[in-house]
Amino acid sequence: MASLILSPAEQDYITRGVEKGLRADGRGGLDRREVSLQTNMISQANGSARCRTGHLGVGTDVLVGVKAEVRTWTAGEPEDRGAVECSVECSPSAAQKFEGRGADDLNVELTQLLDRILGGPQSGIDLGALCIIPRQAYWVLHVDALVLDVKGSIADTLVWAARAALLSTRLPRVVVESVADEDGNMQSEFDVVDDPEDQVPLQGAEDLPLAVTFSQIGKRYVVDASEQEDAVTQARVTVAVSPQMDICAIQKGAALRGFPPSLLTEILHSARTVAREELLRFKDLFAAASAKSASGADEPSTASTFIGTF
Amino acid sequence: MATNIMDRRRINGPARSVEPLYGPGAAGADPFAGGRADGRGLDQVRAIYMKTGPLSGGQHEPSESAASGSAYYEQGRVRVSCAVYGPRQGRRSNARMGVFDCEFRYAPFACSWKRRSHVRGADEKEISLMLEHAVAPAIRLEAYPKACIDAFVTVIESDGKAATIAAAINCISAALADAGIEMYDSVAACSMGLRGAQWVADCCQAEEDAAPCSMLIAHMPSADEVTYILQHGKATPEQTDQAVQTCTNMCTRVYAVICRCLQASLE
Repeated sequence: MASLILSPAEQDYITRGVEKGLRADGRGGLDRREVSLQTNMISQANGSARCRTGHLGVGTDVLVGVKAEVRTWTAGEPEDRGAVECSVECSPSAAQKFEGRGADDLNVELTQLLDRILGGPQSGIDLGALCIIPRQAYWVLHVDALVLDVKGSIADTLVWAARAALLSTRLPRVVVESVADEDGNMQSEFDVVDDPEDQVPLQGAEDLPLAVTFSQIGKRYVVDASEQEDAVTQARVTVAVSPQMDICAIQKGAALRGFPPSLLTEILHSARTVAREELLRFKDLFAAASAKSASGADEPSTASTFIGTF
Repeated sequence: MATNIMDRRRINGPARSVEPLYGPGAAGADPFAGGRADGRGLDQVRAIYMKTGPLSGGQHEPSESAASGSAYYEQGRVRVSCAVYGPRQGRRSNARMGVFDCEFRYAPFACSWKRRSHVRGADEKEISLMLEHAVAPAIRLEAYPKACIDAFVTVIESDGKAATIAAAINCISAALADAGIEMYDSVAACSMGLRGAQWVADCCQAEEDAAPCSMLIAHMPSADEVTYILQHGKATPEQTDQAVQTCTNMCTRVYAVICRCLQASLE
Protein backbone atom coordinates (compact mmCIF):
# COMPACT_ATOMS: atom_id res chain seq x y z
CA MET A 1 0.00 0.00 0.00
CA ALA A 2 2.98 2.21 0.52
CA SER A 3 3.19 4.54 -2.43
CA LEU A 4 4.98 7.21 -0.49
CA ILE A 5 8.77 7.03 -0.65
CA LEU A 6 10.45 8.19 2.53
CA SER A 7 14.12 8.88 3.07
CA PRO A 8 15.96 6.57 5.51
CA ALA A 9 16.19 9.48 7.95
CA GLU A 10 12.42 10.01 7.91
CA GLN A 11 11.80 6.29 8.29
CA ASP A 12 14.12 6.17 11.27
CA TYR A 13 12.44 9.22 12.81
CA ILE A 14 8.99 7.62 12.61
CA THR A 15 10.15 4.19 13.76
CA ARG A 16 12.04 5.43 16.80
CA GLY A 17 9.21 7.80 17.66
CA VAL A 18 6.69 4.96 17.66
CA GLU A 19 8.98 2.82 19.82
CA LYS A 20 9.08 5.68 22.36
CA GLY A 21 5.30 6.17 22.13
CA LEU A 22 5.47 9.42 20.16
CA ARG A 23 3.91 10.13 16.79
CA ALA A 24 4.53 12.92 14.32
CA ASP A 25 1.03 14.37 14.66
CA GLY A 26 1.05 14.29 18.46
CA ARG A 27 -1.23 11.29 18.90
CA GLY A 28 -0.64 8.46 21.35
CA GLY A 29 -0.14 4.92 20.04
CA LEU A 30 -3.78 3.92 20.42
CA ASP A 31 -5.40 7.22 19.35
CA ARG A 32 -7.31 7.64 16.13
CA ARG A 33 -7.49 10.75 14.02
CA GLU A 34 -10.62 12.87 13.75
CA VAL A 35 -13.49 11.16 12.01
CA SER A 36 -16.35 12.83 10.21
CA LEU A 37 -19.45 10.94 9.24
CA GLN A 38 -22.34 11.75 6.97
CA THR A 39 -25.29 9.49 6.31
CA ASN A 40 -28.14 9.10 3.83
CA MET A 41 -26.87 11.43 1.16
CA ILE A 42 -27.41 9.06 -1.76
CA SER A 43 -31.11 9.12 -2.53
CA GLN A 44 -30.91 6.16 -4.93
CA ALA A 45 -29.58 3.78 -2.30
CA ASN A 46 -31.40 2.13 0.60
CA GLY A 47 -28.68 3.33 2.92
CA SER A 48 -25.49 5.27 2.49
CA ALA A 49 -22.67 6.84 4.43
CA ARG A 50 -19.45 8.68 3.86
CA CYS A 51 -16.67 8.51 6.37
CA ARG A 52 -13.49 10.51 6.46
CA THR A 53 -10.53 9.98 8.77
CA GLY A 54 -7.99 12.76 9.09
CA HIS A 55 -7.27 16.27 10.27
CA LEU A 56 -8.42 19.44 8.51
CA GLY A 57 -10.39 17.73 5.80
CA VAL A 58 -7.41 15.84 4.40
CA GLY A 59 -7.68 12.15 4.92
CA THR A 60 -8.93 8.74 3.91
CA ASP A 61 -12.36 9.11 2.42
CA VAL A 62 -14.77 6.22 1.84
CA LEU A 63 -18.27 6.34 0.41
CA VAL A 64 -20.56 3.35 0.92
CA GLY A 65 -23.94 2.71 -0.63
CA VAL A 66 -26.23 -0.16 0.32
CA LYS A 67 -28.73 -1.34 -2.25
CA ALA A 68 -31.22 -4.07 -1.50
CA GLU A 69 -32.48 -6.43 -4.14
CA VAL A 70 -34.97 -9.29 -4.12
CA ARG A 71 -33.39 -12.46 -5.42
CA THR A 72 -35.07 -15.72 -6.40
CA TRP A 73 -33.83 -18.69 -4.45
CA THR A 74 -32.01 -21.36 -6.43
CA ALA A 75 -31.12 -24.85 -5.28
CA GLY A 76 -27.92 -25.09 -3.26
CA GLU A 77 -28.30 -21.72 -1.55
CA PRO A 78 -29.21 -21.47 2.15
CA GLU A 79 -32.97 -21.94 2.42
CA ASP A 80 -34.06 -19.45 5.02
CA ARG A 81 -31.49 -16.68 4.94
CA GLY A 82 -30.76 -13.49 3.11
CA ALA A 83 -27.32 -12.46 1.98
CA VAL A 84 -24.89 -9.57 2.23
CA GLU A 85 -22.50 -9.04 -0.67
CA CYS A 86 -19.64 -6.59 -0.52
CA SER A 87 -17.47 -4.93 -3.07
CA VAL A 88 -14.77 -2.31 -2.64
CA GLU A 89 -13.26 -0.20 -5.35
CA CYS A 90 -10.34 2.14 -4.96
CA SER A 91 -10.88 5.09 -7.22
CA PRO A 92 -7.98 6.47 -9.26
CA SER A 93 -8.87 9.83 -7.70
CA ALA A 94 -7.22 8.54 -4.51
CA ALA A 95 -3.81 7.73 -5.97
CA GLN A 96 -2.33 7.61 -9.40
CA LYS A 97 -1.24 4.02 -9.00
CA PHE A 98 -4.90 2.96 -8.78
CA GLU A 99 -5.27 3.80 -12.46
CA GLY A 100 -6.14 0.92 -14.75
CA ARG A 101 -5.55 -2.39 -13.02
CA GLY A 102 -3.27 -0.84 -10.39
CA ALA A 103 -5.81 -1.17 -7.60
CA ASP A 104 -6.72 -4.81 -8.32
CA ASP A 105 -4.80 -6.37 -5.46
CA LEU A 106 -5.99 -3.80 -2.95
CA ASN A 107 -9.59 -4.10 -4.16
CA VAL A 108 -9.50 -7.87 -3.70
CA GLU A 109 -7.94 -7.58 -0.25
CA LEU A 110 -10.42 -4.98 0.99
CA THR A 111 -13.42 -6.71 -0.57
CA GLN A 112 -12.55 -9.96 1.14
CA LEU A 113 -11.94 -8.16 4.42
CA LEU A 114 -15.34 -6.48 4.29
CA ASP A 115 -16.94 -9.75 3.25
CA ARG A 116 -15.24 -11.53 6.12
CA ILE A 117 -16.67 -8.98 8.56
CA LEU A 118 -20.16 -8.47 7.11
CA GLY A 119 -20.84 -11.51 4.93
CA GLY A 120 -22.02 -14.05 7.49
CA PRO A 121 -23.67 -14.54 10.85
CA GLN A 122 -20.60 -12.97 12.53
CA SER A 123 -21.76 -9.53 11.34
CA GLY A 124 -24.68 -9.52 13.77
CA ILE A 125 -27.20 -8.69 11.03
CA ASP A 126 -30.20 -10.97 11.33
CA LEU A 127 -29.88 -12.82 8.03
CA GLY A 128 -33.00 -14.85 8.86
CA ALA A 129 -35.03 -11.61 8.80
CA LEU A 130 -33.78 -10.96 5.26
CA CYS A 131 -35.52 -14.09 4.05
CA ILE A 132 -38.88 -13.25 2.45
CA ILE A 133 -40.24 -16.74 1.69
CA PRO A 134 -38.04 -19.75 2.49
CA ARG A 135 -36.87 -21.53 -0.66
CA GLN A 136 -38.42 -18.82 -2.83
CA ALA A 137 -37.14 -15.30 -2.36
CA TYR A 138 -34.77 -13.36 -0.16
CA TRP A 139 -33.16 -9.95 0.17
CA VAL A 140 -29.60 -9.39 -0.96
CA LEU A 141 -27.84 -6.36 0.48
CA HIS A 142 -25.17 -5.07 -1.87
CA VAL A 143 -22.64 -3.10 0.15
CA ASP A 144 -20.63 -1.16 -2.41
CA ALA A 145 -17.75 0.95 -1.21
CA LEU A 146 -15.79 3.54 -3.12
CA VAL A 147 -12.46 4.67 -1.71
CA LEU A 148 -12.14 8.29 -2.80
CA ASP A 149 -8.97 9.30 -1.02
CA VAL A 150 -6.23 7.37 0.74
CA LYS A 151 -4.21 8.80 3.60
CA GLY A 152 -3.53 5.66 5.62
CA SER A 153 -5.79 3.22 7.48
CA ILE A 154 -8.29 2.39 4.74
CA ALA A 155 -9.73 -0.68 6.44
CA ASP A 156 -10.94 1.13 9.58
CA THR A 157 -12.57 3.94 7.63
CA LEU A 158 -14.13 1.41 5.29
CA VAL A 159 -15.76 -0.54 8.12
CA TRP A 160 -16.90 2.69 9.81
CA ALA A 161 -18.60 3.79 6.60
CA ALA A 162 -20.10 0.35 5.96
CA ARG A 163 -21.45 0.16 9.51
CA ALA A 164 -23.01 3.63 9.24
CA ALA A 165 -24.49 2.80 5.84
CA LEU A 166 -26.05 -0.44 7.09
CA LEU A 167 -27.38 1.29 10.22
CA SER A 168 -29.03 3.91 8.03
CA THR A 169 -30.42 1.29 5.63
CA ARG A 170 -34.20 1.10 5.37
CA LEU A 171 -35.80 -1.81 3.52
CA PRO A 172 -39.24 -1.57 1.93
CA ARG A 173 -41.82 -3.54 3.87
CA VAL A 174 -42.82 -6.85 2.32
CA VAL A 175 -46.31 -8.33 2.61
CA VAL A 176 -46.46 -12.12 2.32
CA GLU A 177 -49.78 -13.80 1.65
CA SER A 178 -50.89 -17.33 0.94
CA VAL A 179 -52.86 -17.84 -2.25
CA ALA A 180 -54.39 -21.06 -3.57
CA ASP A 181 -53.35 -21.91 -7.12
CA GLU A 182 -55.57 -23.71 -9.67
CA ASP A 183 -54.82 -27.14 -8.15
CA GLY A 184 -55.84 -25.95 -4.71
CA ASN A 185 -52.29 -25.97 -3.31
CA MET A 186 -51.38 -23.12 -1.04
CA GLN A 187 -48.67 -20.91 -2.48
CA SER A 188 -46.93 -18.03 -0.81
CA GLU A 189 -46.70 -14.76 -2.65
CA PHE A 190 -45.19 -11.49 -1.65
CA ASP A 191 -45.60 -7.85 -2.45
CA VAL A 192 -43.01 -5.13 -1.93
CA VAL A 193 -44.71 -2.03 -0.53
CA ASP A 194 -43.42 0.92 -2.52
CA ASP A 195 -44.38 3.63 -0.04
CA PRO A 196 -41.14 5.45 0.88
CA GLU A 197 -42.56 6.21 4.34
CA ASP A 198 -43.30 2.55 5.04
CA GLN A 199 -39.80 1.17 5.47
CA VAL A 200 -38.12 -0.88 8.16
CA PRO A 201 -34.56 -0.71 9.50
CA LEU A 202 -32.26 -3.74 9.36
CA GLN A 203 -32.59 -6.09 12.27
CA GLY A 204 -29.42 -6.58 14.26
CA ALA A 205 -27.55 -3.68 12.63
CA GLU A 206 -26.65 -2.37 16.10
CA ASP A 207 -24.56 -5.51 16.62
CA LEU A 208 -22.33 -4.79 13.61
CA PRO A 209 -18.63 -4.84 14.48
CA LEU A 210 -16.07 -2.09 14.07
CA ALA A 211 -12.57 -2.80 12.81
CA VAL A 212 -9.33 -1.68 14.38
CA THR A 213 -6.12 -1.95 12.36
CA PHE A 214 -2.81 -2.24 14.14
CA SER A 215 0.39 -1.42 12.29
CA GLN A 216 3.65 -2.77 13.59
CA ILE A 217 6.43 -0.21 13.30
CA GLY A 218 9.77 -1.16 14.79
CA LYS A 219 9.10 -3.12 17.96
CA ARG A 220 5.80 -1.43 18.76
CA TYR A 221 2.46 -0.92 17.09
CA VAL A 222 0.05 1.95 16.44
CA VAL A 223 -3.63 2.29 15.62
CA ASP A 224 -4.81 4.26 12.56
CA ALA A 225 -1.46 4.70 10.83
CA SER A 226 -1.07 7.88 8.81
CA GLU A 227 0.23 7.82 5.24
CA GLN A 228 3.84 8.26 6.40
CA GLU A 229 3.47 5.60 9.07
CA ASP A 230 1.92 3.27 6.50
CA ALA A 231 5.08 3.58 4.42
CA VAL A 232 7.23 2.16 7.24
CA THR A 233 4.72 -0.43 8.47
CA GLN A 234 6.20 -3.91 8.57
CA ALA A 235 3.08 -5.86 9.45
CA ARG A 236 -0.55 -4.95 9.77
CA VAL A 237 -3.46 -6.78 11.34
CA THR A 238 -7.13 -5.84 11.27
CA VAL A 239 -9.33 -7.02 14.12
CA ALA A 240 -13.12 -6.67 13.98
CA VAL A 241 -14.80 -6.40 17.38
CA SER A 242 -18.55 -6.52 17.97
CA PRO A 243 -20.35 -4.38 20.60
CA GLN A 244 -20.53 -7.55 22.75
CA MET A 245 -16.70 -7.52 22.65
CA ASP A 246 -16.55 -10.72 20.62
CA ILE A 247 -13.89 -10.95 17.95
CA CYS A 248 -15.61 -11.31 14.58
CA ALA A 249 -12.65 -11.44 12.21
CA ILE A 250 -8.89 -11.15 12.14
CA GLN A 251 -6.93 -10.62 8.97
CA LYS A 252 -3.27 -9.83 8.52
CA GLY A 253 -2.00 -7.60 5.75
CA ALA A 254 1.37 -6.21 4.62
CA ALA A 255 3.99 -8.71 3.63
CA LEU A 256 7.24 -7.52 5.15
CA ARG A 257 7.27 -9.21 8.53
CA GLY A 258 5.32 -11.20 11.06
CA PHE A 259 4.28 -10.56 14.64
CA PRO A 260 5.90 -12.23 17.62
CA PRO A 261 3.10 -14.26 19.29
CA SER A 262 3.36 -12.24 22.51
CA LEU A 263 2.82 -8.98 20.61
CA LEU A 264 -0.15 -10.55 18.85
CA THR A 265 -1.80 -11.44 22.15
CA GLU A 266 -1.18 -7.89 23.36
CA ILE A 267 -2.73 -6.52 20.18
CA LEU A 268 -5.84 -8.66 20.62
CA HIS A 269 -6.25 -7.21 24.12
CA SER A 270 -5.75 -3.61 22.97
CA ALA A 271 -8.23 -4.25 20.14
CA ARG A 272 -11.01 -4.57 22.69
CA THR A 273 -10.03 -1.42 24.61
CA VAL A 274 -9.78 0.60 21.42
CA ALA A 275 -13.00 -0.85 19.98
CA ARG A 276 -14.94 0.00 23.15
CA GLU A 277 -14.00 3.69 22.81
CA GLU A 278 -14.52 3.65 19.07
CA LEU A 279 -18.02 2.21 19.39
CA LEU A 280 -19.00 5.02 21.79
CA ARG A 281 -17.53 7.58 19.44
CA PHE A 282 -19.35 6.01 16.52
CA LYS A 283 -22.64 6.17 18.38
CA ASP A 284 -22.31 9.94 18.98
CA LEU A 285 -21.15 10.72 15.47
CA PHE A 286 -23.84 8.56 13.91
CA ALA A 287 -26.59 10.15 16.00
CA ALA A 288 -25.37 13.59 14.96
CA ALA A 289 -25.13 12.58 11.31
CA SER A 290 -28.62 11.05 11.21
CA ALA A 291 -30.11 14.10 12.91
CA LYS A 292 -28.47 16.29 10.30
CA SER A 293 -29.61 14.20 7.37
CA ALA A 294 -33.17 14.03 8.77
CA SER A 295 -33.39 17.82 9.12
CA GLY A 296 -31.93 18.47 5.70
CA ALA A 297 -34.00 15.84 3.91
CA ASP A 298 -35.95 18.38 1.86
CA GLU A 299 -32.95 20.25 0.53
CA PRO A 300 -32.03 19.58 -3.06
CA SER A 301 -28.95 17.40 -3.14
CA THR A 302 -26.63 19.20 -5.53
CA ALA A 303 -22.93 18.74 -5.92
CA SER A 304 -22.17 21.84 -3.88
CA THR A 305 -24.27 20.75 -0.89
CA PHE A 306 -22.70 17.29 -1.11
CA ILE A 307 -19.21 18.68 -0.79
CA GLY A 308 -20.17 21.64 1.36
CA THR A 309 -21.48 19.59 4.26
CA PHE A 310 -18.03 18.14 4.75
CA MET B 1 -33.04 -15.82 -24.25
CA ALA B 2 -32.07 -19.37 -25.08
CA THR B 3 -33.95 -20.80 -22.11
CA ASN B 4 -37.29 -19.53 -23.44
CA ILE B 5 -37.10 -21.52 -26.67
CA MET B 6 -38.98 -24.79 -26.21
CA ASP B 7 -37.44 -27.86 -27.78
CA ARG B 8 -40.57 -29.67 -29.04
CA ARG B 9 -38.80 -32.65 -30.58
CA ARG B 10 -37.65 -34.11 -27.33
CA ILE B 11 -39.36 -34.85 -24.06
CA ASN B 12 -39.03 -31.80 -21.90
CA GLY B 13 -38.61 -31.90 -18.16
CA PRO B 14 -41.18 -30.33 -15.88
CA ALA B 15 -41.10 -26.54 -15.65
CA ARG B 16 -40.36 -26.67 -11.94
CA SER B 17 -38.07 -29.12 -10.28
CA VAL B 18 -38.00 -30.08 -6.65
CA GLU B 19 -34.97 -30.93 -4.53
CA PRO B 20 -34.87 -34.62 -3.60
CA LEU B 21 -35.61 -35.42 0.04
CA TYR B 22 -32.83 -37.30 1.70
CA GLY B 23 -33.42 -39.79 4.47
CA PRO B 24 -32.58 -38.92 8.06
CA GLY B 25 -28.89 -38.75 8.81
CA ALA B 26 -27.80 -37.85 5.30
CA ALA B 27 -28.22 -34.09 5.60
CA GLY B 28 -27.83 -31.92 8.65
CA ALA B 29 -26.10 -34.63 10.65
CA ASP B 30 -23.61 -33.36 13.20
CA PRO B 31 -20.18 -34.33 11.85
CA PHE B 32 -18.84 -34.10 15.39
CA ALA B 33 -21.32 -36.55 16.91
CA GLY B 34 -19.37 -39.36 18.51
CA GLY B 35 -15.85 -38.06 18.04
CA ARG B 36 -14.37 -37.19 14.67
CA ALA B 37 -15.38 -39.08 11.56
CA ASP B 38 -11.86 -40.26 10.85
CA GLY B 39 -11.14 -41.20 14.47
CA ARG B 40 -8.59 -38.46 15.04
CA GLY B 41 -8.05 -36.71 18.35
CA LEU B 42 -9.19 -33.10 18.69
CA ASP B 43 -5.67 -31.74 18.41
CA GLN B 44 -4.50 -34.18 15.80
CA VAL B 45 -3.49 -33.03 12.33
CA ARG B 46 -4.13 -35.38 9.41
CA ALA B 47 -1.18 -37.46 8.29
CA ILE B 48 1.32 -35.44 6.29
CA TYR B 49 3.24 -36.67 3.28
CA MET B 50 5.69 -34.39 1.54
CA LYS B 51 8.19 -34.67 -1.25
CA THR B 52 10.46 -32.02 -2.66
CA GLY B 53 11.57 -31.75 -6.24
CA PRO B 54 8.89 -33.73 -8.11
CA LEU B 55 8.80 -31.14 -10.92
CA SER B 56 12.42 -30.01 -11.18
CA GLY B 57 13.22 -32.49 -13.93
CA GLY B 58 16.12 -34.01 -12.02
CA GLN B 59 18.61 -31.91 -10.11
CA HIS B 60 21.50 -32.99 -12.33
CA GLU B 61 20.28 -31.46 -15.56
CA PRO B 62 18.90 -28.04 -14.84
CA SER B 63 17.10 -26.77 -17.94
CA GLU B 64 15.64 -23.40 -18.89
CA SER B 65 12.05 -24.45 -18.54
CA ALA B 66 12.22 -26.51 -15.37
CA ALA B 67 11.22 -25.00 -12.07
CA SER B 68 14.01 -23.94 -9.70
CA GLY B 69 12.31 -25.85 -6.94
CA SER B 70 9.10 -27.73 -6.33
CA ALA B 71 7.21 -29.65 -3.71
CA TYR B 72 4.22 -31.91 -3.35
CA TYR B 73 2.30 -31.84 -0.09
CA GLU B 74 -0.45 -34.06 1.15
CA GLN B 75 -2.39 -33.76 4.36
CA GLY B 76 -5.17 -36.30 4.50
CA ARG B 77 -7.19 -35.69 1.36
CA VAL B 78 -5.72 -32.23 0.77
CA ARG B 79 -3.23 -32.48 -2.07
CA VAL B 80 -1.21 -29.50 -3.19
CA SER B 81 1.72 -29.05 -5.53
CA CYS B 82 3.93 -26.01 -5.90
CA ALA B 83 6.61 -24.88 -8.32
CA VAL B 84 9.01 -22.04 -7.61
CA TYR B 85 10.77 -20.07 -10.33
CA GLY B 86 13.50 -17.64 -9.52
CA PRO B 87 15.24 -15.57 -8.53
CA ARG B 88 14.82 -14.21 -12.05
CA GLN B 89 14.30 -10.89 -13.70
CA GLY B 90 10.76 -9.74 -13.06
CA ARG B 91 8.35 -7.21 -14.45
CA ARG B 92 7.53 -5.73 -11.05
CA SER B 93 11.12 -5.32 -9.98
CA ASN B 94 12.25 -3.20 -7.10
CA ALA B 95 15.79 -1.81 -6.94
CA ARG B 96 16.15 -2.39 -3.20
CA MET B 97 14.31 -5.62 -2.55
CA GLY B 98 13.22 -8.69 -4.41
CA VAL B 99 9.55 -9.32 -5.11
CA PHE B 100 7.73 -12.49 -4.14
CA ASP B 101 4.71 -13.33 -6.27
CA CYS B 102 2.35 -16.18 -5.79
CA GLU B 103 -0.36 -17.65 -7.94
CA PHE B 104 -2.84 -19.99 -6.33
CA ARG B 105 -5.12 -22.12 -8.49
CA TYR B 106 -7.63 -24.83 -7.81
CA ALA B 107 -7.66 -27.60 -10.39
CA PRO B 108 -11.11 -27.73 -12.06
CA PHE B 109 -11.77 -31.01 -10.25
CA ALA B 110 -10.30 -30.00 -6.90
CA CYS B 111 -13.52 -29.32 -5.02
CA SER B 112 -16.10 -31.91 -4.19
CA TRP B 113 -19.23 -29.80 -4.65
CA LYS B 114 -18.85 -28.12 -8.02
CA ARG B 115 -16.51 -28.05 -10.98
CA ARG B 116 -14.36 -24.96 -10.87
CA SER B 117 -14.12 -22.70 -13.85
CA HIS B 118 -10.68 -22.36 -15.44
CA VAL B 119 -11.04 -18.59 -15.14
CA ARG B 120 -9.30 -17.34 -12.00
CA GLY B 121 -11.95 -16.57 -9.40
CA ALA B 122 -11.96 -13.84 -6.76
CA ASP B 123 -11.26 -16.36 -4.00
CA GLU B 124 -8.20 -17.65 -5.83
CA LYS B 125 -6.90 -14.10 -6.16
CA GLU B 126 -7.51 -13.52 -2.47
CA ILE B 127 -5.77 -16.73 -1.46
CA SER B 128 -2.82 -15.82 -3.72
CA LEU B 129 -2.48 -12.57 -1.78
CA MET B 130 -2.79 -14.37 1.54
CA LEU B 131 -0.04 -16.79 0.58
CA GLU B 132 2.21 -13.90 -0.45
CA HIS B 133 1.62 -12.21 2.89
CA ALA B 134 2.20 -15.44 4.78
CA VAL B 135 5.40 -16.57 3.09
CA ALA B 136 7.17 -13.32 2.09
CA PRO B 137 8.25 -12.47 5.68
CA ALA B 138 10.34 -15.66 5.67
CA ILE B 139 12.26 -14.85 2.50
CA ARG B 140 15.40 -12.71 2.61
CA LEU B 141 14.07 -10.42 -0.11
CA GLU B 142 16.82 -7.86 0.51
CA ALA B 143 19.27 -10.51 -0.76
CA TYR B 144 17.56 -10.43 -4.18
CA PRO B 145 17.40 -6.83 -5.38
CA LYS B 146 15.75 -6.30 -8.77
CA ALA B 147 14.74 -9.97 -8.84
CA CYS B 148 11.43 -11.72 -8.75
CA ILE B 149 10.55 -15.04 -7.16
CA ASP B 150 7.37 -16.70 -8.37
CA ALA B 151 5.49 -19.52 -6.74
CA PHE B 152 2.72 -21.36 -8.56
CA VAL B 153 0.44 -23.44 -6.40
CA THR B 154 -2.03 -25.94 -7.78
CA VAL B 155 -4.58 -27.60 -5.55
CA ILE B 156 -5.18 -31.09 -6.84
CA GLU B 157 -7.67 -31.98 -4.18
CA SER B 158 -9.24 -29.77 -1.56
CA ASP B 159 -10.87 -30.79 1.71
CA GLY B 160 -11.59 -27.80 3.92
CA LYS B 161 -10.73 -24.29 2.72
CA ALA B 162 -8.60 -23.21 5.69
CA ALA B 163 -6.77 -26.56 5.66
CA THR B 164 -6.06 -26.15 1.94
CA ILE B 165 -4.56 -22.70 2.47
CA ALA B 166 -2.44 -24.03 5.34
CA ALA B 167 -1.26 -26.89 3.12
CA ALA B 168 -0.40 -24.42 0.36
CA ILE B 169 1.73 -22.35 2.75
CA ASN B 170 3.62 -25.46 3.91
CA CYS B 171 4.08 -26.59 0.32
CA ILE B 172 5.44 -23.20 -0.84
CA SER B 173 7.91 -23.00 1.99
CA ALA B 174 9.22 -26.48 1.14
CA ALA B 175 9.46 -25.61 -2.56
CA LEU B 176 11.35 -22.40 -1.73
CA ALA B 177 13.82 -24.40 0.33
CA ASP B 178 14.14 -26.85 -2.56
CA ALA B 179 14.89 -23.94 -4.92
CA GLY B 180 17.67 -22.81 -2.59
CA ILE B 181 16.10 -19.42 -1.87
CA GLU B 182 17.60 -17.74 1.21
CA MET B 183 15.11 -17.76 4.06
CA TYR B 184 15.07 -16.82 7.72
CA ASP B 185 13.04 -19.89 8.58
CA SER B 186 10.48 -22.24 7.09
CA VAL B 187 6.87 -21.22 7.52
CA ALA B 188 4.55 -23.83 8.94
CA ALA B 189 0.80 -23.30 8.91
CA CYS B 190 -2.12 -24.95 10.61
CA SER B 191 -5.87 -24.40 10.71
CA MET B 192 -8.48 -25.00 13.37
CA GLY B 193 -12.25 -24.89 13.64
CA LEU B 194 -14.45 -24.11 16.61
CA ARG B 195 -16.67 -26.90 17.86
CA GLY B 196 -18.90 -25.77 20.69
CA ALA B 197 -16.37 -24.10 22.95
CA GLN B 198 -13.50 -26.27 21.83
CA TRP B 199 -10.98 -25.87 19.03
CA VAL B 200 -10.53 -28.79 16.67
CA ALA B 201 -7.36 -29.05 14.63
CA ASP B 202 -7.18 -29.34 10.85
CA CYS B 203 -10.88 -29.52 9.94
CA CYS B 204 -12.03 -31.37 6.84
CA GLN B 205 -14.78 -29.86 4.67
CA ALA B 206 -17.71 -31.36 6.60
CA GLU B 207 -16.27 -30.22 9.92
CA GLU B 208 -15.50 -26.76 8.56
CA ASP B 209 -19.06 -26.31 7.27
CA ALA B 210 -20.38 -27.04 10.75
CA ALA B 211 -17.88 -24.83 12.58
CA PRO B 212 -19.00 -21.25 13.34
CA CYS B 213 -15.45 -19.98 13.36
CA SER B 214 -12.17 -21.00 11.80
CA MET B 215 -8.63 -19.89 12.52
CA LEU B 216 -5.56 -20.11 10.33
CA ILE B 217 -2.08 -19.31 11.56
CA ALA B 218 1.27 -19.38 9.78
CA HIS B 219 4.24 -19.38 12.09
CA MET B 220 8.03 -19.40 11.87
CA PRO B 221 8.97 -21.36 15.01
CA SER B 222 12.72 -20.64 15.10
CA ALA B 223 12.29 -16.93 14.42
CA ASP B 224 9.17 -16.97 16.65
CA GLU B 225 7.04 -14.84 14.37
CA VAL B 226 3.42 -15.27 13.34
CA THR B 227 3.55 -14.43 9.65
CA TYR B 228 -0.15 -14.82 8.99
CA ILE B 229 -3.34 -14.90 10.98
CA LEU B 230 -6.88 -15.19 9.73
CA GLN B 231 -10.01 -15.65 11.77
CA HIS B 232 -13.25 -16.21 9.92
CA GLY B 233 -16.34 -16.15 12.10
CA LYS B 234 -17.13 -15.05 15.60
CA ALA B 235 -15.37 -16.16 18.79
CA THR B 236 -15.01 -14.75 22.27
CA PRO B 237 -11.68 -13.04 23.05
CA GLU B 238 -10.72 -15.93 25.36
CA GLN B 239 -11.37 -18.42 22.57
CA THR B 240 -9.29 -16.35 20.14
CA ASP B 241 -6.41 -16.13 22.62
CA GLN B 242 -6.57 -19.85 23.15
CA ALA B 243 -6.68 -20.47 19.40
CA VAL B 244 -3.57 -18.36 18.81
CA GLN B 245 -1.69 -20.36 21.42
CA THR B 246 -2.85 -23.82 20.39
CA CYS B 247 -2.47 -23.12 16.71
CA THR B 248 1.08 -21.80 17.10
CA ASN B 249 1.99 -24.93 19.03
CA MET B 250 0.51 -27.08 16.32
CA CYS B 251 2.46 -25.16 13.67
CA THR B 252 5.63 -26.11 15.54
CA ARG B 253 4.66 -29.78 15.23
CA VAL B 254 3.97 -29.41 11.49
CA TYR B 255 7.30 -27.57 11.20
CA ALA B 256 9.13 -30.59 12.60
CA VAL B 257 7.65 -32.76 9.86
CA ILE B 258 8.61 -30.28 7.13
CA CYS B 259 12.16 -30.01 8.47
CA ARG B 260 12.58 -33.77 8.69
CA CYS B 261 11.39 -34.13 5.11
CA LEU B 262 13.74 -31.39 3.88
CA GLN B 263 16.65 -33.04 5.65
CA ALA B 264 15.75 -36.39 4.13
CA SER B 265 15.66 -34.83 0.66
CA LEU B 266 19.32 -33.81 1.04
CA GLU B 267 20.54 -37.27 1.88
